[in-house]
Amino acid sequence: MKIIIAADLLNANFGLVIWLGIIFLLLLIILKRYAWGPITSALEDRERTIGESMQQAEKALAEARQLQADNERARREAEQEAQRLLRDAREEADRLRGEEVQKTREAIQHMRDQAQDEIEREKDSALDALRAEVADLAIQAAEKILQTNLDAPSQRRLVENFIDDLPKN
Amino acid sequence: MGKLFRALVIILLMGLIGTPAALASGEDDDFDPVHHTADGYYLDFQPIGKVELPRIFLMRDANGSIGVDFFGGTASALRSGRYVAEVDESHGDEAHEGDAAETGHAQAGDVEALIASGAHLDAHLVPAAGSVIIDFSITRHLIFSLLGAGIVLIIFLRLAGRYKRGIGRETAPQGLFQNLFETLIVFIRDDVARPNLGDEHYKKFLPYLLTVFFFILVCNLLGLVPFGATATSNLMITSVLATFTFFFTQINGSKDHWKHVFWPPDMPILVKFLLIPTEIMGLFTKPIALAIRLFANMTAGHLVILSLVGLIFTFGGLFGPIAGYGVAPVSIAFTLFVNLLEILIAFIQAYIFTILSALFIGMAVAEHSHHDHEHEHAHEPAALAHGTAPAIIGDGAAETAEQAPALAPAS
Repeated sequence: MKIIIAADLLNANFGLVIWLGIIFLLLLIILKRYAWGPITSALEDRERTIGESMQQAEKALAEARQLQADNERARREAEQEAQRLLRDAREEADRLRGEEVQKTREAIQHMRDQAQDEIEREKDSALDALRAEVADLAIQAAEKILQTNLDAPSQRRLVENFIDDLPKN
Repeated sequence: MGKLFRALVIILLMGLIGTPAALASGEDDDFDPVHHTADGYYLDFQPIGKVELPRIFLMRDANGSIGVDFFGGTASALRSGRYVAEVDESHGDEAHEGDAAETGHAQAGDVEALIASGAHLDAHLVPAAGSVIIDFSITRHLIFSLLGAGIVLIIFLRLAGRYKRGIGRETAPQGLFQNLFETLIVFIRDDVARPNLGDEHYKKFLPYLLTVFFFILVCNLLGLVPFGATATSNLMITSVLATFTFFFTQINGSKDHWKHVFWPPDMPILVKFLLIPTEIMGLFTKPIALAIRLFANMTAGHLVILSLVGLIFTFGGLFGPIAGYGVAPVSIAFTLFVNLLEILIAFIQAYIFTILSALFIGMAVAEHSHHDHEHEHAHEPAALAHGTAPAIIGDGAAETAEQAPALAPAS
């Protein structure tokens, strides 16, 4: 008996179409409700979280950079301020020392002048005293000479010579 | 490399051992690749055996009342006497179908002989009285599409469970299972759905695209499993999938979509009347092309594999067993290569079906936001897909783009 083969590649099987239609529809509904929904929403959540995190990280980085730049500027400013202060202090010190030196020099000069004057005055008084002493000595000498009978003219001459011999000052 | 080579040699030698058994078991039949690729009412676990699948018929009996007949298998349907194997009328010397119905007892011996030979599994059953309205019998491809659907369901319900527990929602995805499928899901979303459907529409169609992609992929891969069958190498099954795409496309078609079909703008009246039938045909050719492309690709791959295996039997039968042995290593090497190619094609065809579905739906849902300025924007991508004169070029381009990947595996 030669039977007709049921299955070939192109035969139309409407039962199969209906079965598969139902199966696929159920598969689609179940997966959509219980699988694709949770999965895609989870993926979206995660992507959003990652995106936000990256944005935040970027913002934080920008902030950190800003902060660093601010710090750098503040440091530079502080440094400049410190240098300025140092320079001012040095200048002030220099100025003060100069003044001090000047004052000291003036004081020394003043003292020297005073001493000079004092010396001059002492010298004058000494000379005067000497002169008086000499005159006294001369008179005493003259008396001695007189006591040894010297005539008056000779005495005078002697005295005058003596006085002339004395230094003028 | 050395290991790989050794493994290859071992596989080829196993062919030498397996050949005599295969030759012995297949010696009385002709080896028919088409028959093995086609659907059937049994699961084929040869050489262990075959499992008959339930036969369910929605039928109108002789009195005209509608009923459902349920049998455990083809054999029990035949033994019940209510169904007979349709015989080829051209071989007039055999008993006629009508005679069988009238002389049930006389036919009983023939039925047992038919069942004993195993040929009843391939028989086309007709009711002894009345007519079958729809044959709801469970077929091999139905079983394997159910299996595919079950696998997809298990994988993605488990995956969804992980995301619900927070793994992958707040933390990074963990493990091969989650990473692998997440990569595929993200690929479908970002490289298939979003570019073709646009940011505002893609979410609505993403569940369908994901379902169809993974269902086709799993069905394709099941065909490569030993004792498996490729549900997607059945034109009925691919037609159902294409019909889903067709309905998704038409139900969600925008006003512009229908306007371009039934009253293409910016065209002389006469050209409009030429274009309208073309556009209406275009609505149907797209899903038909989808169905045939998937069917043809999956069928072709299996025919090639089976033909290469069949070379062993052909040579063995024509030139003696020695020739069979000689051809076996070459044949198995090529089969291995085509099998590897089939893995690639399983992915490619699932991808092509999905991306073309996305493209067709995307073309239908696209709206022209500046309808008044269409003249200025005639060359916008959306207008290109929809526009009248550019539409022909656009469709042509789309078709050739479709053909290229479709043809590639066939070569």
